[in-house]
Amino acid sequence: MPSDSDRPPAIWVDDLWVTFRASREGAPTLRNSLVGLHRRNERKQAMLVEALRGVSFEIPSGAVYGVIGRNGAGKTTLLRCIAGILPPTAGRVAVWGHVTPLLSLGIGFNRELTGRENILLGGLTVGLSADEVRAHFDVIEDFAGLGGAIDFPMRTYSSGMFGRLAFAVAVHLNPEILLIDEALSAGDASFKMKCMDKIRELCERDCTVLIVSHGLEVVKTLAEHCIWLDRGELRMDSPASEAIDAYFAEEDVDETSAAALEDV
Amino acid sequence: MSASSIRMPSVYEATESGLPPMRRYIRDLRERRRFIWHLARTDLKGKNYGTVIGQSWIILDPLLSAGVYFFFRSVVKSAGTGNARALILSHLIWGVFFFTFTQNSMNYGARSLIAGRGLILNASFPRAVLPLVAIVKGMLDFLPTLAIYGVFHAILGQPFGLSLLSLLIVIPILTVFNMGVIFIMAAANVFFRDTANFLPYLTRLWLYMTPVLYSTKEIPANLKVYLRWNPLYPFFGALEQIFGAQFPSAGYLLAATAWAVGFFVVGSLIFLAKEREFAVRL
Repeated sequence: MPSDSDRPPAIWVDDLWVTFRASREGAPTLRNSLVGLHRRNERKQAMLVEALRGVSFEIPSGAVYGVIGRNGAGKTTLLRCIAGILPPTAGRVAVWGHVTPLLSLGIGFNRELTGRENILLGGLTVGLSADEVRAHFDVIEDFAGLGGAIDFPMRTYSSGMFGRLAFAVAVHLNPEILLIDEALSAGDASFKMKCMDKIRELCERDCTVLIVSHGLEVVKTLAEHCIWLDRGELRMDSPASEAIDAYFAEEDVDETSAAALEDV
Repeated sequence: MSASSIRMPSVYEATESGLPPMRRYIRDLRERRRFIWHLARTDLKGKNYGTVIGQSWIILDPLLSAGVYFFFRSVVKSAGTGNARALILSHLIWGVFFFTFTQNSMNYGARSLIAGRGLILNASFPRAVLPLVAIVKGMLDFLPTLAIYGVFHAILGQPFGLSLLSLLIVIPILTVFNMGVIFIMAAANVFFRDTANFLPYLTRLWLYMTPVLYSTKEIPANLKVYLRWNPLYPFFGALEQIFGAQFPSAGYLLAATAWAVGFFVVGSLIFLAKEREFAVRL
């Protein structure tokens, strides 16, 4: 079990392996699997993708951790494992507290319904009771700042508006462990600032935040600690600025380059 | 010390595919009942949003089908006059309405996991939520049609009696049966994506093998031997008795219950055993 530290752990990941079998065949249809029976050998050539290879770390409760790494390094897979969505192939994940995954914006939202109706739907999706959602209704509406658009069907929303509402729902529903995957990149500058303030506020209330972003500036300002994943392996688990500097050095990107830091 | 250090953690480990701990699973499902209800309602609301007649399609669709089948029947063979025709027409209407319940359940079920792909990949909840949403949707589509049939039953001068109360037994059994069908369809469609494409043919074949467009009395004895092994046969046999103001026979009810329990147990076990694989397969 996790080692004793000054803060109790919120997330504990122990030698986590996740492998997928990615096949070059199309969708798994009946025809394909019948044909496959005759072509066993060819099927065995299906590529085995090792998305995570023996990753171990521990996150104390109330901490903000960043996850950095190239595309395909296993960042989203890691978050999905912590949320209990993907079963590990080997190893173990333990989480203390309710996990609110913000892996993709507006999960559970129905585009035909109004923003107001979707607040309830989004809250129920992350596992809250209707009463809990209703108690936060006004604050969410206020935070999203959509004005009259809240009573329009969400198919009329721009992607920015969609993201604002999704984020507003996620952060106001008393998350204990919040997983954020590239969610901040949708909003405009002022909304982004609002989100960062909100995340800091959540941390003061002992909420643990794990944030994946290619916008390293976001990670740098928010996260105290960083996990650097490289091709499925844990490359570094250290204070955020150290990890980001090392990542830049490796990737040979000039740190002052605005494009790398900013969300593009 | 904060409370979180004392609390038991949720642990995710590599386990062989097998059944999840049942007691905890059912508790989690119960906690999600509002979500199931809301998801079903909003899905249906969204589905009929774009059409002019909107929600009334739920009733119009099976009613128009019944009309077409009646026309078809009259062409093949004279539907008779007066009472005989009224009986045929009422049988067709309730038959199509009840069959549509099973048919809709199958369609919603087969598509439930693929349609809920975003939810499955990005949120953690007992996956049986999605098939349950499918049965609630099927139910919400079905109940209004039952009320409409009541009106036709009166207009067509069919008998009313206490036996109609037996519907309160047959409908729950049929719902359990449909639930089993949904579990099977939902899991099958993840592993064989074209299951949903086969469905229209499968349901049509099933329709013709079930006493929906004809009554059980019209089936020749040499065919009845085979047709009575159709799982829906005892349901429609019992319904025929009920709408004819008779109490359903014990034989039909027992057979229907056996099919319902069988389908439900097999379907839910398959679903639960495979559920952890869904996120990887989708």
